[in-house]
Amino acid sequence: MKYAIRALGWATAALWILVILFSGTVVYSAMQIGMNFGEEPEMTVSNGEITMSIPFSISNGGLYDISELNITTFIAAEDETVISRSTTTVPLISRGDTVNKTHDISISLDDIVTKNLTYMLFNDINLSVGMFVGLTYAYAIPLTISTDLSMPWGAPLNNLAIGEISPTPPYDLPLSFENHAFFGLNGTISLEIMDSLNELIGSGTTDILVQPGGGYDDTIPVTITGDPSDVAEVRLYFDTSIFSFGPVVIPIE
Amino acid sequence: MRGILPKVVKATVMGLLWFFLLYVLPSLLLSELVEQVMPGYTQLLRAFAIIIVFFVVVSELLAGTIFQYALKMGKAFVFMGFFIYSLNGGFLALDFEMVHIEADLRVYLAMLLTIDFLGLAKSLLQAIDFLAKKTERQLAI
Repeated sequence: MKYAIRALGWATAALWILVILFSGTVVYSAMQIGMNFGEEPEMTVSNGEITMSIPFSISNGGLYDISELNITTFIAAEDETVISRSTTTVPLISRGDTVNKTHDISISLDDIVTKNLTYMLFNDINLSVGMFVGLTYAYAIPLTISTDLSMPWGAPLNNLAIGEISPTPPYDLPLSFENHAFFGLNGTISLEIMDSLNELIGSGTTDILVQPGGGYDDTIPVTITGDPSDVAEVRLYFDTSIFSFGPVVIPIE
Repeated sequence: MRGILPKVVKATVMGLLWFFLLYVLPSLLLSELVEQVMPGYTQLLRAFAIIIVFFVVVSELLAGTIFQYALKMGKAFVFMGFFIYSLNGGFLALDFEMVHIEADLRVYLAMLLTIDFLGLAKSLLQAIDFLAKKTERQLAI
């Protein structure tokens, strides 16, 4: 009995020492972890997809390994429709190691069109950005860190408006909009002019090149084959390097 | 009366010593830093110190009786409950400005509970040993 009691006493003391040492070293090691977003994020646009690449590095100066690191970001519109979800995983950051990775956040403007979020093309809104970091520390402590932020979205076709078609040939149609987006618009705008019987009576096309933050305010030469005084609506088609969208129907009163 | 006085003095000294070690010292060294990260930490630390001091003092007063071991077993159960409560069942959540942090401390909790289970087993064996020796003495008389 005496030896059993003594053994249990030793085991308890050993476990207490282990717990105290583990607690102390975990706190110390956690303070030795460095996360660095040193370089500027890089924006690229290709195939209708805007990608923001965020380089980061994690240096694990602690005494324990970091495993199953998972960085997930998601961007949602005002109606909570998720328009982007990106994940970067690092299977293992051993103690003393530094890992350099890039987290890519992609937004497809074609998705915006297909997910019925076309109001984002015309209205400035606030996007909600969620970030989630999950990891397992010392193979024993799973940890999750999450945050929600708000990010302004500038509409590429903000304040889209058309004027009146000139009454006499050569016909032209004033068109204006402001590009509040962080990307430029390079492509063509095609338009169709419909009469009150919903028949095509005119058309036109123009090339556009609008820088981010810039505006477009010009007249588009149009060909009218019907009665120019019987214009009921104008249909606009946008075909740019980033997205294709149309028709945008604008009634003429 | 003469036998109780040294026990009371020893219990008081032990109680004050443990209170200093578990509450006063950590409060002086850590409270400002930790309170920022973990609000409510001071209350938990205070509760922990009060529980320890209570059991140390009462244990000293009951030394040499079977109740000492019953108290130790009670202490093990109280600490199990305390650790489960203070670690929120192993899932701790903190909000630091706009950042929400969740830690799964079940492994850590399991280690603490194991210590308490060992303590419980030890106290049980000590109680049995105490009763066995007492019976032996009575039989010898």
